[in-house]
Amino acid sequence: MSKNDGFAAVGKTAVMQNIQGTMHFLLRYAPFNQMELSHLAQMVEQCRLRFYAAGDPIVGPGDGTIEDVYIVKQGLVLGQRPTQSGDGLETTQEIAPGECFPVAAMVSERATRSHYIAAEDTFCLQLGRAAFVRTYNQSEAFRDFALRGVSSLVGQVHQQVQLQAAETLGAQYSLETRLNILASANPVTCRSGISLRAAVKLMHEHHVGSLVMVDDSDYPIGIFTLRDLRRVIADGSGDLQQPLDELMTPDPIHLPPTATAFDAALTMTRKQIAHICVVEMGRLVGVLSERDLFSLQRVDLVHLARTISAAPHIDSLVELREEIAHLIDNMLAHGANPEQLTHIITQLNDHTVARVIELMIEEHGDPGVPFTWLVFGSEGRREQALLTDQDNGMLFEAGSPEEAEQIRQRLLPLARRINEALDRCGFTLCNGNIMASNPELCLSRQEWLRRFMGIIQNPTRDNLMHSSIFFDLRSVWGPSEGCRQLSEALLQMIEGNSLFQHMMAANALRHPPPIGRFRDFIVARLGADKDTLDLKVEGLMPFVEGVRILALAHGISECNTLERLRQLGARGVLKPQAAAAYEEAYDFIQMTRMQLHQRQKRAGQPLSNRLDPDTLNQLDRRILRESFRQAQRLQTSLGVRYQL
Amino acid sequence: MNLIRALFARLQRRHLALDEAQRQRLKALPPPPCLDALLHQQRFVVLDLETTGLNLNRDIVISIGAVTIEDGAIDMAQQFECTLRRQVKVNEAVLIHGIAPSELAAGQPPAEALLSFMEFAADSVMLAFHAPFDQRMLARALKNELGYNLENPFLDVADLAPMLFPEVLTRRGSLDYWMNYFGIDIAQRHHASADALATAEIALILFNRAQRMGIERVEELAQRARYWQRARQAALGSI
Repeated sequence: MSKNDGFAAVGKTAVMQNIQGTMHFLLRYAPFNQMELSHLAQMVEQCRLRFYAAGDPIVGPGDGTIEDVYIVKQGLVLGQRPTQSGDGLETTQEIAPGECFPVAAMVSERATRSHYIAAEDTFCLQLGRAAFVRTYNQSEAFRDFALRGVSSLVGQVHQQVQLQAAETLGAQYSLETRLNILASANPVTCRSGISLRAAVKLMHEHHVGSLVMVDDSDYPIGIFTLRDLRRVIADGSGDLQQPLDELMTPDPIHLPPTATAFDAALTMTRKQIAHICVVEMGRLVGVLSERDLFSLQRVDLVHLARTISAAPHIDSLVELREEIAHLIDNMLAHGANPEQLTHIITQLNDHTVARVIELMIEEHGDPGVPFTWLVFGSEGRREQALLTDQDNGMLFEAGSPEEAEQIRQRLLPLARRINEALDRCGFTLCNGNIMASNPELCLSRQEWLRRFMGIIQNPTRDNLMHSSIFFDLRSVWGPSEGCRQLSEALLQMIEGNSLFQHMMAANALRHPPPIGRFRDFIVARLGADKDTLDLKVEGLMPFVEGVRILALAHGISECNTLERLRQLGARGVLKPQAAAAYEEAYDFIQMTRMQLHQRQKRAGQPLSNRLDPDTLNQLDRRILRESFRQAQRLQTSLGVRYQL
Repeated sequence: MNLIRALFARLQRRHLALDEAQRQRLKALPPPPCLDALLHQQRFVVLDLETTGLNLNRDIVISIGAVTIEDGAIDMAQQFECTLRRQVKVNEAVLIHGIAPSELAAGQPPAEALLSFMEFAADSVMLAFHAPFDQRMLARALKNELGYNLENPFLDVADLAPMLFPEVLTRRGSLDYWMNYFGIDIAQRHHASADALATAEIALILFNRAQRMGIERVEELAQRARYWQRARQAALGSI
């Protein structure tokens, strides 16, 4: 039924023209677009439309128990609260058309804590208590909204994304689905001692690609798959009477039924396997195959990871980059959240880097000394988007400065080859020469330590900039012990140096989020970037930098921003609610950025982080603005903490 | 010609087809308001008429749309919307308003429609954009159909707007001009109720400005409008 037919069905002989007009306006926004039309019509009929000129107060703490809620029809309203120091008001809310206030105060029958002021000439629909209560009782959608407030809107966006994905591919499927729903319920099993012939017969009869061997208590002790069968036949060693025990993969990988599809996908990628046993209380309850995971989705993550790891030359890796973009597109469409996506991109990138290193060693010859490939920046934080450039270095162990120099000379040619090969694979060369082929970044552990100490003891502008790259580090290839020791030492140095912390905090406030006092977004006024804002520099960096300083100052070795936030929340450095709000906001900006990149890629445009907020729908705009406001809050709290 | 038509109208009026109940209702209509109320206490009815054309003597009212401003706000529950049962040729005005002849044929009998409207309006001050036009069209219709003399005072939003917003350099903008200036977005223009709502929203903005300028009573506003009009006419005459 279309909305227009709906009006006819409202139950009144005629809904007044202007009531319809107002309903059409409200139907562009949640929760009104989820309300039954008859409820919405009745609500609108009970509204009064008021005008407030810019600067007019609308309602505030002095007005006593809230008797009306307001829906902005046109204009902009600011919600302001006294600052902590108590000598003024700060804007905590910007309320745009389609949004309501003060809902929480109305529901809890108290006075509002904010002063609501018209920021520009504004029309509001005013809904009195009696009408509010009637609508609240009638409409579930309205009630949900009133009780949960704005936070439920963020959930809706995710729901919407997933819903759209389900529509496009016709599958009710998400990466959060638990394995007990996905895995085949009655796995085909066998007991020890079965012959290869009997096993293959069993698989054939049941049309399955895998057979699990269980012990007396139904615990899986081995798995045999069609791939194993192919290997047996190709080897020519297959004797059909041979017991399966000698041919199967013993101790198969297993996960609990509460694990998610995403966990399974990651495990398959990491272990390069195609089947996972689902085990509950020591008993096999199901088997999940790669096909189960991805046939619906046409997303072949495992296959891709495997192809990368087996790529015969750089050229094949170059081709695979295209597929990675496609995979991300698919997963984004399937409602994977940004954290999952950046994880997967990182994982695939790690595979690519590892393969490039292996191929270059094969081609160039083994340098004969063990080395660790370090990555920094977004790669170090596991937060890469499709648009990425190289930030890497090499770490090795050396007994003396002379030995270090010798090893360096041996490693540098290889490093250069690796950097070039990565460039061909789509990891563009770093403008700032933060690459392993730079002799200053191909260092022994002692040299790295000295270098980091130099940065901390002498926080010049350049050094601060370097700290924001180097201090998010991890190892991707080679022994990881050296890297672990390095980051441990780094944390100790920073914890004990409050001047450096102070400087770093100041540095983290360089990029204020692009929201204004009176306009919803601040965008570039001139030039090629006119009307756009930078999602990375202005949106993500305030979080990344703010959270980094807090994590480093509190001995948290994790580099991932969301993980850092969780730990900061868990350790009470940040209030848990604040940490959760930052997490949500960061996630949303990241998702907006990824969607932007996918759109650009589809349109054949170069990838860029600049977004024109007018291209977003109302709900997304509103949440993006709220997300920037969270960034602003984080910066403000840093300012207070470090007395900046 | 006009004389004959006027004569004919008078003949018709003698045969006003009002039943007893309608006559009682007509008698019960309240007297017109006095203007000494505070702006935010006065009830205003903002009306917009759709007519077959712009000729004050010949064209007739085909629909009435009205919204109410009470207690300084537009009350969505108090709206009036009515199409009059008329037989008219399909001319341009009808096309602009988008009211089909069939719709007109299905409308209310004019006497009933006008009577209901006056009951709705009661003792309110009337507001309209280019009010003299609506005032005269309505007065003529009321006279012809009900034998009733319209005495409710009218304020013209088309005068109040440039008077209260002198910074807007327009002599006398159209409704579209002011809607655009104030950023008012109405989906269905040229529909009586939608135009009435747009006019009412402008009126709220004007009252807000008037109160900021210290104009508190309806009377003061009407007075100022009269002076402003006179001054404007003098200025125009002196050119």
